[in-house]
Amino acid sequence: MLIEGAFTVAAPRDKVWPMIRDTELMAACLPGCEEAREEDDGRYRVAVKVKVGPIAARFLLQIEILEEEAPLSLHCRTRGEEGSRASQLTADSLVRLEEGAAGETEVTYRSDVQVTGRLGKFGLGLMRKKADQLAAGFVEAFRRRAEAEAVS
Amino acid sequence: MAAFLERPRTVEEALTCKAVRPDARFLAGGASLIAMRNAGLVVPDGYIALEGIEELHGIMQSPDGGLRIGAMTRHRLCAASASLTGSLELVRQAARQIANPPVRNMGTIGGSLANADPGADYPAALSAADAEVEIAAAEGRRRLGLADFFLDWYETALGEDELLTAILLPAPQAGPSAYRKLARVSGDYATASCAVVLDQDGGLRAAIGGCGPAPLRSTEAETAIRGRLHDAAAIADLGRALVDLADPIDDVRGSAAYRRLLIPRLLASTLAHLLRQEQAA
Repeated sequence: MLIEGAFTVAAPRDKVWPMIRDTELMAACLPGCEEAREEDDGRYRVAVKVKVGPIAARFLLQIEILEEEAPLSLHCRTRGEEGSRASQLTADSLVRLEEGAAGETEVTYRSDVQVTGRLGKFGLGLMRKKADQLAAGFVEAFRRRAEAEAVS
Repeated sequence: MAAFLERPRTVEEALTCKAVRPDARFLAGGASLIAMRNAGLVVPDGYIALEGIEELHGIMQSPDGGLRIGAMTRHRLCAASASLTGSLELVRQAARQIANPPVRNMGTIGGSLANADPGADYPAALSAADAEVEIAAAEGRRRLGLADFFLDWYETALGEDELLTAILLPAPQAGPSAYRKLARVSGDYATASCAVVLDQDGGLRAAIGGCGPAPLRSTEAETAIRGRLHDAAAIADLGRALVDLADPIDDVRGSAAYRRLLIPRLLASTLAHLLRQEQAA
C-alpha cells in the first residue's frame, strides 16, 4: 500500500530539518504514538496504538535510517509487529524537503507499507483510510509545532 | 484464560455489568462479533449477552403511531414484519437482503448498527426512513438521529458505557419505498446500495450505502428535487450531490471510482422502479 502526500510548512528548510530529526517532536505529532526512543545512531523503537471501531492494535516498530542527506532527504525502513506477532508490518519511507517561496518548506512523503497477518484480513481499503487519517493528523500537528518554533 | 459470560435480565443490569467489567463486549446476535473473534481481530475478556433482556426483543407500535424495533430483533423477524410497509417497506427489504438465512437468524438490528459496517444493509435503509436510535446509559436514555450516530469508519456515537436499545421509526406513510443493493454475489456486503422513500407531496428521501463511513444523504438536494421526480436533470443533480458526499474505499468489492459511478445509476433505477410502482397503484 502506497501512502504519499505533500504539505507546506511556513518555516525555512534549515529550521524544519532538525525537527524531522527530533525524536520527541515527531512522536508528539504522530497520533497514537505512545513511546519513541533512539536506540543507537539511526535506529529507533516506536510504539503506536491504532484503533478502528472494535479492533485495537498496538504496533511495536523498529525504524532504521538507511540514507540521510541533510537537509534534503531521509530514507528509512520500518519493521514491526502487533499483538504478539499476530500481524507484521514493514514499510519503506522517503521524506523530502524542498525550499519553497518566501521561506517556506515543501515536504513530500512516500511510504510503501505492507501489513500481513491478522490485520491483513481486515482489508486494504479501510487500512488506507485509516493511514490517510493518521497522516492528516500528523501533518496538522507537525505544521503547528514547526511554525510555532520557527517564529520563536 | 476462558472468556466469561454475563447474562443480565434488564438494560440496567447490563449497564452495571459493563461498568464493572469495562473490557467486556456486549454480545447481541454474534453474527459479526464472533466471526471477528474467530479471525483473531478482537480478543474480548468476556461477553455481556443481551439475549435475556426482554425489552430489547420485538417490534412494537409507539403511542405516536411510529414503530419501536428492539435492538435484539433478528433480521429474520424484520424481513417478515407486516408492520414494515409503505414508507417503511424499505427496512423490510433491507433485512431480507442481509447475508444468508443463518446470519438473518442470528444477527440483530442493534448489533448491525453498533458495528457500523459501511457495507451493511440497514444503515442506508434506516437513514432514508428517518430512523432514530435510542441509547441507554446509567444516567438515562437519549435519542439520536442516524446522521449524528455514525461518526467514522466503524465508529459510532455510542460511548463505552452505553447500550443501543432500540431503533425508532416514524409512523408509516403510504410511500412507496425501496432498498436496492449491488453485490458481487447474493448475500455479500453491498458494493453500493440505495434507499429511497417517496412522500405524498412529490418529494423523496434518498440514502446511499457502502460509499463512505456513514450513509450518504443530502437534505438540500432532496429539497431541490421536490416536485421534479420525473425530471432527468433533477435526478442527475441529486445523484451528483450524493457523489460529492461519497468517500468510498477501494476493496475487493470494487474500486472507489466504480462505487462513485454506481451512485447515480442505483439512484435513478430505484427511483424509476418506485415511480412505476406508484403509477400502478
